[in-house]
Amino acid sequence: MKESHAVWLLALVLVAQLLLLAVQVRGEGGKNLLERGMLRVVAPMPRLVSWFSGSVEELGEGFRSRDQLELESRTLRGRLEELELELFRLRNVEEERDRLAAALDYTPQVPGRLRPVEVIYLDHSSWLRTLILHLGEQPARVDQPVVTPEGLVGRVVEVSGPYAKVQLLTDRAAAASAVIARTRRQALVRGGSDLLELDFVPLQASVLPGDRVLTAGTDGIYPRGILIGTVVEVGDSGELFREVAVAPAVDFAFLDRVYLLERGRIPDGLIEGDGRGGR
Amino acid sequence: MAVAAARLVLGLALALAAHVVGSWLVPELPRFLDLFLVVAVLNALGGSSASGLLGGAAAGLIHDALSGRLYGLHGFADTIVGYAVARAAQRLDLGGPGAVLVAVALATLLEESILVLLALLFTAPEPPDPVWVVVEALANGAVGALLYLAGSRFGMLRERARRRRLTKIRL
Repeated sequence: MKESHAVWLLALVLVAQLLLLAVQVRGEGGKNLLERGMLRVVAPMPRLVSWFSGSVEELGEGFRSRDQLELESRTLRGRLEELELELFRLRNVEEERDRLAAALDYTPQVPGRLRPVEVIYLDHSSWLRTLILHLGEQPARVDQPVVTPEGLVGRVVEVSGPYAKVQLLTDRAAAASAVIARTRRQALVRGGSDLLELDFVPLQASVLPGDRVLTAGTDGIYPRGILIGTVVEVGDSGELFREVAVAPAVDFAFLDRVYLLERGRIPDGLIEGDGRGGR
Repeated sequence: MAVAAARLVLGLALALAAHVVGSWLVPELPRFLDLFLVVAVLNALGGSSASGLLGGAAAGLIHDALSGRLYGLHGFADTIVGYAVARAAQRLDLGGPGAVLVAVALATLLEESILVLLALLFTAPEPPDPVWVVVEALANGAVGALLYLAGSRFGMLRERARRRRLTKIRL
């Protein structure tokens, strides 16, 4: 190829990629065919590695002594009893809540069903934070919340066949409406480098280190009451708002299984002031 | 041309496998080693501008598929890097491991600069830690030089085997 042709090719490729970026910035990132296609081509490799690592771990677990197995069995039986008691207590609480709700003619939020999915790749590099899931037979949808028993992980941003890409809460572009559990003060959680930032907390609001931060359920993506993290630092150097740092409840470096929260999507027309943040 | 394309595809597939396995073993690996960029630069050192820029675009887009945020940030940056390295290789002798180390390290710095500019243009900027950028440049350079040496050694062994075969045929 002649050098002048190569320059034209360079210009063409760069303009095409700039357009691709511009389209995503305008908020149409979920419809990116090229990204979906590439995800489908690339994701089988992490899946293969994940399967291999799982097989190695299973192989290691296969070689355990009878004493170890008995100890594990005893521990698990004890844990099962604890969880059954906790379930019993929670059922009572739920019944009481339903009775009170009926008396007040109030419709409580119905929690969604949780579907376990496998994490096949976790990118934890400095400023691009994402993970790739293998969904299996059942598909996922864009903006579906992803959680673990510890708390909120993020949301699905791209789905391609049996694979989905998740934006972690620690991503600089991620955001969620939040509430401080102790005071019910509403705020906005944004991703940060290591800690999350809690924005729009007025100087007169009471926030203390150790306060738990939950999802507020007002952004149209995350349901109410999922643990986001704990306040670790409170600064008051701002003019109107406090600078609050939140340590995420989830340790993002050790995610091998997460849960997709299955719940009905709120129609776009009903969401006012979309607080989901950009991609 | 077809051989070069097949070599690029194989290189990218191996980079993908190494990246995924490496990330599984050392989660922080992507912070200081960009194997896709190394492959793009080694491909561009061949000296063809078109091959350099297309290889860079392919490497960057694969990298983008594994990372979050805007799709195409690495694709855009690596396209420019691939073209720039190919143009440099047309003018300079970049034939030794030392030259490859410097070329890959400089390419890493160029890629990071473009990524910062793109982040300023399109997303909330979070400048990368300069220490990590230098570490990444050195690590990429070292891996690039090692791969170059391994490739040269493999080429020499293949040539020797070919000559031996020819000698046998003459006899």
